[in-house]
Amino acid sequence: MHIPDGYLSPSTCAGFYAASVPFWYAALRRLRHALHTRMLPLLSVFSAFSFVIMMFNLPLPGGTTGHAVGMGVSAIVLGPWASILAISIALVIQAVFFGDGGITAIGANCFNMAIAGSLVAYAVYRVAAYRAAIGSTRRVVAAGLAGYLAINTAALLAAVEFGVQPLFFHDAAGSPLYAPYPLAVSIPAMMIGHLTIAGLAELIISAGLVAWLQRTDPGLLERTAPDAAAGPSVRKLWLGLAVLLVLTPLGILAVGGAWGEWSARDFADPQVRRQIAAASANHAPPQRAPSGLQRLSTIWTAPLSGYAPAFIRNAPIGYLVSAAAGTSLILLCGLLLKQLLPDRRRRRKTFIEKTTTTLARALQHAFFAEETANSGGFLQRLDPRVKLVGIGSLIAATVAVHQLWMLAAILALAVVLARLSRITLRNLSTRVWIAVLVFTGAIALPAIFLTPGEAIYRLPVLGWPVTSQGLRSAALLFLRAETTATLSVLLILTTLWPHLLHALRFFRVPVVVVVLLGMTYRYIFLLLETAREISESREARQVGVMQPADRRRLAAATAGVLLSKSLWVSGEVHMAMLARGFRGEVYLLEDLRLRWNDWLPLGALTAIAAAAIWFGR
Amino acid sequence: MTDLAFEVRDVSYRYQQVPALDGLSLEIRRGERVALLGANGSGKSTLLRLLAALHFPDRGDILYFGESLSERRLQDEEFFFRFRRRVGVVFQNPDIQLFNPSVFDEVAFGPLQLRWPRDQIRGRVYETLETMGISRLADRAPHRLSGGEKKRVALASVLVLDPEILLLDEPAAALDPGSQSQITDFLVSWGGGSKTVVTATHDLDTLEDIADRCYVLENGKVAGEGAPLAILHDVPLLERTKLVRPHHHVHDPSAPQPGPHPHLHRRP
Ligand SMILES: Nc1ncnc2c1ncn2[C@@H]1O[C@H](COP(=O)(O)OP(=O)(O)OP(=O)(O)O)[C@@H](O)[C@H]1O
Ligand SMILES: [Mg+2]
Repeated sequence: MHIPDGYLSPSTCAGFYAASVPFWYAALRRLRHALHTRMLPLLSVFSAFSFVIMMFNLPLPGGTTGHAVGMGVSAIVLGPWASILAISIALVIQAVFFGDGGITAIGANCFNMAIAGSLVAYAVYRVAAYRAAIGSTRRVVAAGLAGYLAINTAALLAAVEFGVQPLFFHDAAGSPLYAPYPLAVSIPAMMIGHLTIAGLAELIISAGLVAWLQRTDPGLLERTAPDAAAGPSVRKLWLGLAVLLVLTPLGILAVGGAWGEWSARDFADPQVRRQIAAASANHAPPQRAPSGLQRLSTIWTAPLSGYAPAFIRNAPIGYLVSAAAGTSLILLCGLLLKQLLPDRRRRRKTFIEKTTTTLARALQHAFFAEETANSGGFLQRLDPRVKLVGIGSLIAATVAVHQLWMLAAILALAVVLARLSRITLRNLSTRVWIAVLVFTGAIALPAIFLTPGEAIYRLPVLGWPVTSQGLRSAALLFLRAETTATLSVLLILTTLWPHLLHALRFFRVPVVVVVLLGMTYRYIFLLLETAREISESREARQVGVMQPADRRRLAAATAGVLLSKSLWVSGEVHMAMLARGFRGEVYLLEDLRLRWNDWLPLGALTAIAAAAIWFGR
Repeated sequence: MTDLAFEVRDVSYRYQQVPALDGLSLEIRRGERVALLGANGSGKSTLLRLLAALHFPDRGDILYFGESLSERRLQDEEFFFRFRRRVGVVFQNPDIQLFNPSVFDEVAFGPLQLRWPRDQIRGRVYETLETMGISRLADRAPHRLSGGEKKRVALASVLVLDPEILLLDEPAAALDPGSQSQITDFLVSWGGGSKTVVTATHDLDTLEDIADRCYVLENGKVAGEGAPLAILHDVPLLERTKLVRPHHHVHDPSAPQPGPHPHLHRRP
């Protein structure tokens, strides 16, 4: 769900930044006018809460665990506008500090999860809860529904963003330059996970937390329930929920099929064919450029060769089957890589142990970042604004260039910078490279077979063709993801967070946003510690084997305790701010001058980025 | 102008259903050092918050130099800034009070909010950090401080404003004995003794150093008042308000009580 750097083209990223800015602006304006001073701490603590909730491993039916985003409960408690800000702030901190989601993709991620997610959650909740009493079961169900639909809307948006990349961004030979799969594959691949795992996680968290608030702090549910009264019975809503749960996958598949057709036609487009022909001038162009989907269906039928019944080769079934084949190939690769690569210790752990591990790792990462940021290497000595612009433009260059050798060169530069800044290769590989290998590797690998183009090798037995376009596309995606992840970790490992925040002011980021980022970050640590304490103590108490339903209830209660703590913290922080003269406006002490010796590295880094873009086109 | 910094008149306050203060009255004179004693939950923190105009009484009245502290009064910008400038609060839980990304920003927050001239703030912040012995922490994030360091930063973030009235909620709690006496010594000498200091505590050992007068609270009411020595000698009051452990051996009521209670003397 968190789109990394390198999966979306620069123009897509820019487009989503541009699409998100009006929402952020409107949200900020509304908050300034409509709400009292309590909003600032409430927002930042909620944002920290949503950050921590994203680290919760929620137990789901079937023995799996999933993560929620928390957009459901935040839209219900804060209202849609404040929720947009709260989730966006959490996503920004995740991207910048923890490398979860790309920096260039912040616009898209915020659009999907914070903006669309909050608005959908709010609308669904308001409609489904209608006028039910604050304490009614109907509100709990409505909250679950809101969370479920919100996260699936966000996932569908992300899937479409992925799916259109190969249509618009491919080189002359037909290699996709960014996310390699067409809509017919990207939609089911994203939606299968979200309609089941992540959707359920969000459903449990939203419903569980609203039920929790009904008991502990019902006043907080009143903001988004202006006309609550004794409402109609809950049964009809359950029915609606059940129908929706059944219908959505079908709907998605139907929609996916429709788009799949569109993409297939595009791939069969004569102009694209001509381009392919022009690029491979020495080879005789194939009579009929194989479309992505036809290629997929040949993968499906290849091992069956002549034995496959004819109806499998007919178009609509071919689409469905090929989409399923592509999707399962991606899922399979993910599973395989997870099995093969480290973290074997993590298997067979309970969800609470997993959560504790995740939380501990986040804390550890932050401590490590502060250590290295204080250790006085080359990048550590640069002004934070220089680093923000310099490394930022290198990341932009990485996303923009189309040549593999140029990506390798930027990666090499990043490694040199890391070594100059006392960051070891070992640290880079454990903190960045392996994680990217598992995640992007799993996504990139199937593209080798699925991308239409010239077959340069056939897998023995299976007969799957490896295409040169596929190889290039997978390599581009993989190198891009590794390079951008390395660069962004360089920024955070060499810059103290407060300095980075001050640097943001230099770029005219509104003071409120800078303060929100600062407070959220601060309270993330308080809540991480609290969450760890809660889950550790529960872990100690719950030695015996629990029923799955009890486990879910326990997870929701843990999140509930955390929510109560968050709300309490936000109230107390508000007091502490008032006591020191806070009246709703915040001020920062800023020093906006750049020293002359900052200009040299700034110029060098941006010049390198510009040259990379020029020569790596 | 009246010489009473605060006059609390028959104040009651409840959190939703939980009553915290129940018809409490007391006075705090200007330049006086007052300790609020009381067991957990007796209402010390709540009282300090009402004195700091962070909560407002449900019933009764609080006068600040003769002026009633009401929500309305605090809306007035001029009064708000004057009040916040002169009355500083150090909260019981420093995790709450430290909400800025770095120690420097934390200490600079108050002066910035109160619109001090920008060119003075930086120097004043470093000066305060120096006095509190925490200059080397300036760039640290608050979540990476020890409990004692957090307390110092919280104190610095209030003292930077040089308030005339300081409301302290258990300033020495959760500190090791060394830091405890450092903080106490600092507060004793702070401001040359001309400041008004109200300290909530249940630490009887340092009472004589930090207070000229004490109030003992019990269930949101004043249960006793007097000079520190007098309070320390009033064993039945201390036992009743759970400030000392009740004795298991039977006192001979006719026997003269020699000096302060032996259990209270742990200081060297
Ligand atoms: N935020 C709150 N919500 C509800 N009840 C509260 C809240 N804060 C305090 N109380 C209740 O008000 C009463 C007085 O609490 P207060 O914090 O003033 O006591 P205290 O004397 O400071 O105790 P301690 O020594 O533990 O700090 C207690 O019964 C407490 O449970
Ligand atoms: Mg207290």
